[in-house]
Amino acid sequence: MITLEADVIVCAAGLSGLAASVAAAELGAEVITFEKNNTTGGAANMGISPLAVGSRQQRMAGYNYTPEEIFEKHMHYVHWKADARLVMEYYKKTASTIEWLENMGVNFVFEGNTKYTPVRMKHFASAEQVRHPVAPAPGQKVAPRVASTMCKKMTERFQELGGDLRLESPATNVIMEDGRVIGVKAKAPDGEDITAYADVVILACGGFGDNPKLITERTGFEWGKDLYSFRIPGNVGDGLRMAWEAGAGKEPSIMELMYQIPDNLNHFALEGAFRQPILWVNKLGRRFIPEDVIGNTGITGNAIAYQPWGTCFAIMDADTLAYYKARGVDFPGVQGEDVFDQFDEAAKQAKAEGYEFYFECDSVDDLCEKTGIDKEGFLETLEEYNACCENHKDDIMGKDPSFLRPVKTPKFYVLQQFPGAYGTLGGVRTDYKMRCLTEDYKVIPGLYSVGTDAMNICGDTYPFILPGNTMAFCLNSGRMASENAIEYLNKLDAEYE
Amino acid sequence: MKIYIDSRPVEAKEGQTILEAALDANIYIPHLCTHPSLPVIGECGLCVAEVNGRVVKTCETLAQEGMSVNLKTEKVIHQRNVALEFLLAGHPHDCSSCKAYLKCELQAIIQYTDVTHSRLRTITKTTTDRNTDNPLILREMERCIMCGRCVRACKDLRGVGILQYNREGKETYIGTKGDVSLAEAGCRFCGACVEVCPTGALQDFEGVFRNDIAREKALIPCSAECPAHVDIPAYIRAIKEGNTDRAMAILHEKVPFPFVLGHICNHKCELGCKRNGLNEPIAIRNLKRFAAVNATNGKWMEKVTFKARTGKKVAVVGGGPCGLTAAYYLNKQGHDVDVFEKRPQLGGPMTSGIPSYRLPIEGVKKEIQTILDSGVRAECNTEISDVRSLRERYDAVLVSVGVSHGKKLRIPGSDFEQVYTAIDVLADLRQGSDISYLGQKVTVIGAGSVGYDVARSLVRKGLQINIACIEQPDKILADKEDQEEALDEGVVLFAGRSFEEIEGGTEGVTGLRVHTVLSSTYDRATGTVTEVALEDSQMVIPCDSVIFATGQHTGLNAFENFGIEINRFGYPVVDGFKTSGEGIFAAGDAITGISFVINAIAQGRDATAEIDRYLGGSGEIDEKLCDRIADPVIGTMEGFAELPREEQILRGTERAQDEEDVYLTYTLEQAQNEANRCLQCDLRNDIGHVCPWMDYATK
Repeated sequence: MITLEADVIVCAAGLSGLAASVAAAELGAEVITFEKNNTTGGAANMGISPLAVGSRQQRMAGYNYTPEEIFEKHMHYVHWKADARLVMEYYKKTASTIEWLENMGVNFVFEGNTKYTPVRMKHFASAEQVRHPVAPAPGQKVAPRVASTMCKKMTERFQELGGDLRLESPATNVIMEDGRVIGVKAKAPDGEDITAYADVVILACGGFGDNPKLITERTGFEWGKDLYSFRIPGNVGDGLRMAWEAGAGKEPSIMELMYQIPDNLNHFALEGAFRQPILWVNKLGRRFIPEDVIGNTGITGNAIAYQPWGTCFAIMDADTLAYYKARGVDFPGVQGEDVFDQFDEAAKQAKAEGYEFYFECDSVDDLCEKTGIDKEGFLETLEEYNACCENHKDDIMGKDPSFLRPVKTPKFYVLQQFPGAYGTLGGVRTDYKMRCLTEDYKVIPGLYSVGTDAMNICGDTYPFILPGNTMAFCLNSGRMASENAIEYLNKLDAEYE
Repeated sequence: MKIYIDSRPVEAKEGQTILEAALDANIYIPHLCTHPSLPVIGECGLCVAEVNGRVVKTCETLAQEGMSVNLKTEKVIHQRNVALEFLLAGHPHDCSSCKAYLKCELQAIIQYTDVTHSRLRTITKTTTDRNTDNPLILREMERCIMCGRCVRACKDLRGVGILQYNREGKETYIGTKGDVSLAEAGCRFCGACVEVCPTGALQDFEGVFRNDIAREKALIPCSAECPAHVDIPAYIRAIKEGNTDRAMAILHEKVPFPFVLGHICNHKCELGCKRNGLNEPIAIRNLKRFAAVNATNGKWMEKVTFKARTGKKVAVVGGGPCGLTAAYYLNKQGHDVDVFEKRPQLGGPMTSGIPSYRLPIEGVKKEIQTILDSGVRAECNTEISDVRSLRERYDAVLVSVGVSHGKKLRIPGSDFEQVYTAIDVLADLRQGSDISYLGQKVTVIGAGSVGYDVARSLVRKGLQINIACIEQPDKILADKEDQEEALDEGVVLFAGRSFEEIEGGTEGVTGLRVHTVLSSTYDRATGTVTEVALEDSQMVIPCDSVIFATGQHTGLNAFENFGIEINRFGYPVVDGFKTSGEGIFAAGDAITGISFVINAIAQGRDATAEIDRYLGGSGEIDEKLCDRIADPVIGTMEGFAELPREEQILRGTERAQDEEDVYLTYTLEQAQNEANRCLQCDLRNDIGHVCPWMDYATK
């Protein structure tokens, strides 16, 4: 058994844990950070851009947002179902956090997001310019994974400050005594038990996206049936469990919803090819969304989940496929801009494997039979939709006319879509200082929850109009927790003397 | 010699490459194809540095006195990043669903270098569907970056050599010759290729290894599952070499009763065995039996050490497997140990419960004698009724009384004289006592392993035996083999019966009245059974006596003042092994409830460590009784994946006429065949480990 002592213990070294660790160490605390994997950064290693409001970069680009204005927008979006004080404190802190990261050597490339996302993608046009992409290596483009360099800089900073980073060492339980936190139990890489004492424990474990049982319990989705979400390995809800076991109250959790095809990584090009503003229908054969909105993965995920049997189909005909092959995509996504160059190969592979969510159909009859789409409904939809295409005006759903391409010429190509998610949001009850609260809203002295475990500010839908929110909340809640924790430690010291 | 890396002086050894010298000096240089256990090939191009104005691969360049190495020049960073972009062009853009996420060397390098994707055109591989349907090893080759580590591990490390670079059109990929399955190619499923893979391209199937314990332990699943963590692959290797003495030395490092375990262990190890994923697990228990039966007497003891005497005295109450294990190791730790046993002989269930047709008594006695010879004292026929006063004469006391009292169900008639408990009858049988009190027809209530033990023993005495139990046939707890063998020997089973009354009068018991149940559930919390009865199914099983095999307890509640806190079920109240009495500990079945011998032994060891610490010792009881010799070059073996499990020969039904062991110990050939089936999972722990950049002090 190993016994350790520190001022602050942080459980997990993802983005929120790193932020908490660095912030506490900068304020002079001795910090031990336990991470069960052998690399830091957690889910943020796949990320691009944290949000900030009122940063120097924004003002330079002519966006003069105030925290109050974005706060208003956020609260409106979530119907005021969130702790307003927490939301306000959070947005107020975001600009300083960008500066804080720059001082660590992280660079951002904010030039207005339009540069990185075509205006034709409606949702981003309505989104505020609050994303701050992390700068990639020289000569490279902003793309998923750029944020991993931010994780690197934070890790280095923590180590420079003398922080004790323990990889492959999972924290397992919070130790309580007389109603306050006194430390955690953890495991060393060789399996030896660790008891680490500290007056402050900050839980930063990244939700439960990799725990199907808890997903069903907490959100009602059944993974592999009506949900095909990312499962960042290891995000099994350690933080929620530890907090709840230590007496923290529960808040509702939501999936950070988007949409996805099953086993998408093996059919990545195919997925990208169908994430276009083509014809989208539900199982009744009816349109349910203006398809130029599908770039907003959040609301589209909601819309798909709302459809009968929680699924839908993206459809194009042979002419449209030929058009895309010749002209390239309308909407470039993470799948890349060259997905149609790879289309034939990807389709061949899907068919060879018997991939059950991709269909090539010789006729409308064939299409309905293979996909299970209601034929009567679909025929009506086709008639309506093709007429709209002819008139260059979408009377039904109001899609941008430049995306109106008829579905007429066999073959018909279909890809079935399901709700997906990046992970989970929320679950642990905290106050605006990120202190864990009991079911009776009493503070648990010394216990803090940060990052996605504690991101209870989204109501029922992640606010895609304010993109970069998850990473920003991780960063800022981590900092806020540590700053408040140091105040608490100082008070404890004063009481001793 | 001295070299300078970014102007920092670094000590390098003669013949070391720059990369080796840097890593030794705690300076990180990104590298992918280089692995500490594999020959260098200089393929990936990430470990570049500038020396004398030229960019070199540090994995291939020898350090030279006074050499000046620059890691951070623009040229170096440019070349390294371009090399990484080449790797990433053929690698999936998204990592979120990869099982290697955050355990991936490539991901850590991406983090370190800032390179996030490739400017090159995305390469879609067409060969990733080759050879994807294999047991144990998951090949997701779309993640492969062609570093060739697996090829080298298979060939150079293991001498197997079934992985190679294949070519189709313009595409090179890693596969087997002719793309045959791994098994067909002669794979030994050692997992070396998975171990060295820096990405998620090669993975162990989920569930092959536990993920709730330390990795190096989890990688050897048989030992991980064994409660005493015996070094199983090592003794199987010794048996393969025909060296049973080595095997026994390795076994004795963790357990003092290999002979007993070789016969009756519940072999949880075999559930963990990685070969379950290929065909059937290694017959670990049978191999242990082979070693115990064939080893030279006492040869394993050569390296046993005894610590200096401490002058401390320990009393062990109860001389079963737990108590004797603790006594043996406490004595080795230098403490004087007295064992108190209420029965006339030591051994608990090993000598008075488990029947001789499963466990020959001579071998058990030998193992007990070894413990006594090592200096442990024992007083038999001595029941301790007050451990607190015992504690006054000893520095510590261990209560390891086991569960030696049978339980009877409270049904009408259970107080007839001809109603017994299995544990008492088994003890009489082992003593050779007269058992004519049972009459000719006996009904055993309860179909756990104890029920079968007593039933099969009595068949051998020429009695007619019925077993009745409430469980449906498929829910019976005893081993399937036990049930089948008993059936062949003539035991009659009444499964799915509920017991109404034991019938009889002044003449004694005449039968057991039962009715059939369609289902039943037992609520552990309240101890009540809920059943769905079949109407008009009442019947009487005629018999002269009834034996309950329906559970056992400690009997400690019978003592007026045992001296420590006992709960209402008769078990000592413990915190770990500590009881309410200072310096008084409890372990084994006496705290866990009825369990298996291996669990009792493991408890005995763990309790020893705690008592030793209490007495001022280190609590370190592990010892190495022989060196480990393992050749990592395992080579190919034809048909390895399909090698069938060797079974011990079961004697014919004539076995029911005698009390000899029902199985024949393996022949040498059988044992070696079986040992050859082992996947040698332990070899994987000898493969070097690549540390991520953040493990190095200087970046």
